[in-house]
Order: sequence, then structure tokens, then C-alpha cells
Amino acid sequence: MSFVKRRHGGPFMRGFVIAGLIVFVLWSAGPVIWLVLSSLMEQQALIAQPPQVVPSSFTLDNFIQVLSAAAALGHGIFNSALVALFSTAVALAFGAPAAYALARLPVPRANNIAFLILATQMLPGIAIAIPLFIAMSKLGLIDSVLSLGFVYLSFNLPIVIWILRGFFMAIPVGIERAAAVDGAGVSATFWHIVLPISIPPMAAAAVFAFVEAWNEFFFALILTRQNAQTVPLVIAQFAGQYQTVFGQMMAAAVISVVPVIALAIVFRNQVVRGFADGMTKG
Amino acid sequence: MTANATFEQRRRRVGLLFVLPALLVLAVVLGYPIVDSVALALQQVSLRSGVVQQSWVGLDNFRRLFADTTFQRAALNTAYFSSAEVVLVTVISLSIAILLNHPIGRFGIFRILLIVPWAIAPVANAVLWKWILHSNYGVLNGVLKALGVIDVYHVWLGTPASALNFLLLVDVWKSVPFVALLMLAGLQRVPNSLYRAAYMDGAGPWQSFLHVTLPTIRSVIAIAVVLQTIWSLRVFDIVFVLTRGGPADATVLLNFLAYRVTFNFLDLGYGSAIANVVFVLTVILAIVYVRLLWPRERRAG
Repeated sequence: MSFVKRRHGGPFMRGFVIAGLIVFVLWSAGPVIWLVLSSLMEQQALIAQPPQVVPSSFTLDNFIQVLSAAAALGHGIFNSALVALFSTAVALAFGAPAAYALARLPVPRANNIAFLILATQMLPGIAIAIPLFIAMSKLGLIDSVLSLGFVYLSFNLPIVIWILRGFFMAIPVGIERAAAVDGAGVSATFWHIVLPISIPPMAAAAVFAFVEAWNEFFFALILTRQNAQTVPLVIAQFAGQYQTVFGQMMAAAVISVVPVIALAIVFRNQVVRGFADGMTKG
Repeated sequence: MTANATFEQRRRRVGLLFVLPALLVLAVVLGYPIVDSVALALQQVSLRSGVVQQSWVGLDNFRRLFADTTFQRAALNTAYFSSAEVVLVTVISLSIAILLNHPIGRFGIFRILLIVPWAIAPVANAVLWKWILHSNYGVLNGVLKALGVIDVYHVWLGTPASALNFLLLVDVWKSVPFVALLMLAGLQRVPNSLYRAAYMDGAGPWQSFLHVTLPTIRSVIAIAVVLQTIWSLRVFDIVFVLTRGGPADATVLLNFLAYRVTFNFLDLGYGSAIANVVFVLTVILAIVYVRLLWPRERRAG
């Protein structure tokens, strides 16, 4: 048996791998497929006994009803988009220079600062949420899209810095030396030489940050009321109020997850590489 | 070398300028609250008609923890939930990573299947499972009955042990994909030459897994275990949507208890004390994480 053949395994091994993959596909895709199917089924079909696992007809009624009945959903999508875009864009604007400085410039104790920044990512939400809630109540900042955006910015900064720092450390020093010899200052080098070759990791960091902000629930629950409500809050509320209108519940869930799933699928390779490298390489 | 020194000074100045905005945001939004959360735990804080009232009470809140049976219940629930979750997530993720690293499993579609559950919002995930687990119309009951596994429909979230275990299942389902992707990235970094060498030495698939694969991805596994433990301490959304801590407080985890005490019972000081417990647990785990990430020789420099 050759080496390559050995790596593929014998017929027994292949059968085992294929069986494992089938279980994996059912386990990962099953619930998601059921989510989409239920959102496309009529209420009668959903509560039929015995249950119809393979529906006889599809309808878009649930989506139409959810979008027309729940004005909160449209408002929530708008808020979520705003908060996610703001926190992602500012995180990149602040995070990219910080990551570059921590990777390349003679900042005192750069490694310690980098680790401190990473450590903030691990703080349990609840320990921060209570003081933040009190302080923001006193300052009248509760239920504002901008304050929520700032809170999410602080969650996104560590992600961005950590992903980009790993990338910047791997850039050959020669490129920057050449720029310096040509008379470029630090800022010019960063802006004209380093940033243009950093588009892929920046895209990864942006997607990661956007998804996290779009999906965040806990702080939105505590720091917003009606006005700044985001999509996850609307979905949770909807599931509490209309718990018998299953099709609409699923339609609302589908609407809320489609944008981030699309982003994640398109950028999957960058996201995985960026995050895996950032989290597992000091 | 004065020119050189000023050049270095300039680089340092720009570096500080580059780092400053990010550090400021983190200090205001995260640094201040984490310090204040310790102070709050030493106070009696109440919220009456939107006005916060505070008074110092020393360690009273922490003393209350010891007498509070709900807290003990939550601590036990959390201990069970976190340890079970870490074991399950690690084993399942590693198995999936190995499957997807096998030549048959290398199609892009499998990777897409992993990234989708990761991107789904925890709330949407919880709502989906609420529907799957529904006692009258849920697809789980329907499928299990059709297969003859159960005779009557079960109220899956209705009894204490079952409810906690189903929360566990839902969270494992959501957590596995990302950890699997991390491990897959680790597996792909194992150089093929090592497997070739093992093959030359006559190692079988199982032996090369034990002696080549495992040792090289050991650090990735260790990091995944610590991160997953930290993440499991934060679980909130699925408890909030699926059970609200019930039945009979069976699904109250420490994080959720701190939320409930603070924002439902409006006992902000005591809530902070519970949050501090979660914080200390996290700090211990984070230290372990840093030690795993940074081998000794590099930490010295």
C-alpha cells in the first residue's frame, strides 16, 4: 500500500469517513433546513398531525405578513445595520493603526498592551453590563443607537487588532525599509504601503466584527428600549408574543440571519484564516 | 547616531498616537466598568423610578452568596453545563475536523455547512430550537414518534434535567462549528512530511493519529478548551429565549442569575457580586489561556 493510498485509508476506513460525513451533514444542515422550510409553510401544514416533514406546498405569506405586521422588524433591521456598520467601520479606523503600531513600531510594552487588549475580549458581559447600565442611565445614554454602537466598538476593536496584528507581523520588514529609504514617513508608509496589501485580512476582520455586532443580544437587551431596538431583540420579543404563529416566527428568524450568513459564506476562507491565526498564534 | 535616535523617537511617537484612540475607547467602555463592578459589589444599589441609590455595605453581598440556595443551584448548573459543554464541543469538533481533513471531506460545501451555524444569531438559533422542541407541534417529537423511539410526545423543556440537557444540546450545536474550524486550521498546519516519515516507520493510521496528529495540534486543542470554557460561562441568549431559567430554576446559570437579580429584581449590588464571581472564574481561565498561547521563552522577551 502506497503512502497516498494509506492516507486515504482502506475500504473500511472510507466507509467510516463517508458515514461520519453523512451524520455531520444531517447534524449541521438539518436544523437550518427545517428553519427555512418552516418559514415557507402554511400554518395548517405546520400544526398538521402527524407532522409533515416534507411539505406539500410552499408560500411566501409568512414573510409578507411579518414584514407588514411587525413594523418593529424593519426598525430593528435599520438599527442593527447602523450599529453594526458604525462599530465595524470605526473599529477598522482605530484598530488598523493600533495593530500596526503594536506589531511594528517601538511602542513601549507592545506585547503586554496587545495581551491586555485580547484579555478584554474575555471579560464576561454581565460584569461590564451592570456598571455600564448605571453610568449610562445617569448620563441619559440609554436607548441610543450611538451609545450601543460605542459599546460594540469596544468589542470589535480587540477582534480587529488581534487579526490585523498577526498579519502585520508577517509582512517582510524589507518593504517598509525600502519606503523609509525613499523618504516616506511612518504614516505615509502605513497608509500607502501597508494598508493596500492588507485588504484581505481587513475584510476578514470587518466581516467578523459585523457579524458579532449584528447578532449581539445581551447588551442590546440591557441598554436599549423601544427606540434603539436591534433585530435580535425584535426576534426574541416576537417569539415571546406570537409563539403560536410558528411560520411567521421562523420567517422573522430567516430575515434576520440571511445578511450575515451571506457575508460569512462569501468571506468564509478569510474569516477562518484570520481568526484561526489570530487566536492561536501569540 | 543622533539622527537615528530621533528617527526612532519619531517612530515611537507615531506608534503611541496610533495606539491611543483604541486604548481610550477600551478604557472608557470596558476598563471603567470592570473597576466599578468591584465597587458596586460592595454596595447596596437600588433603582427606584429610574433613580439609582447607592450605599456602602462592605462584604455583605458576598456573605449573602453563601446562604443563597439559588446561587448554589446556579453554580452547580454552571459547573455541569460548562464541563459537559467543553467535553462535547471538543470531542465533536475534533471528530468533524478530522473528517473534513480527510481527502473525501475536502469539498467546499462541508466548510460552508460549518460557517452557517456560526453566523446564525444565538437568538435566532434559540427561536429555531424552541420550534423544533415544541411539545405539540415540534419536529423532534414528530420524527422520534414516527421512528418509534417514543410513544407519546415529550415536553422536552418541561422537566429540570431534560431542560438543562436540551439547552446544552442547543449550545453545543451552535458552538461546534467554530471550534471545528479552528481545529481544522490546526490540522492543516501539520506538515505532510511528518505523516510520510511515520508511514516509512511503519505506523498505521491510528498510530500516526496518536503520535503525529495529536501532539502537533495539542496546543490548538488546549486553546479551544480554554476559550470554550470562557464562552460557556457567558451563555445567556438561549436561556433567555428557551426557558427563562425554568423549570424550578433548573436552567439558571450564573450569568443568567446575575442578570435576573440585577435587572428583574433590581438588586444591582448583589447582582454585581454574582457577576464578580463569573469575572474571577474568567480571569483564572484567561491566565491559563495566556500561558498556553505564549510559550515561556517568548514571555521572557
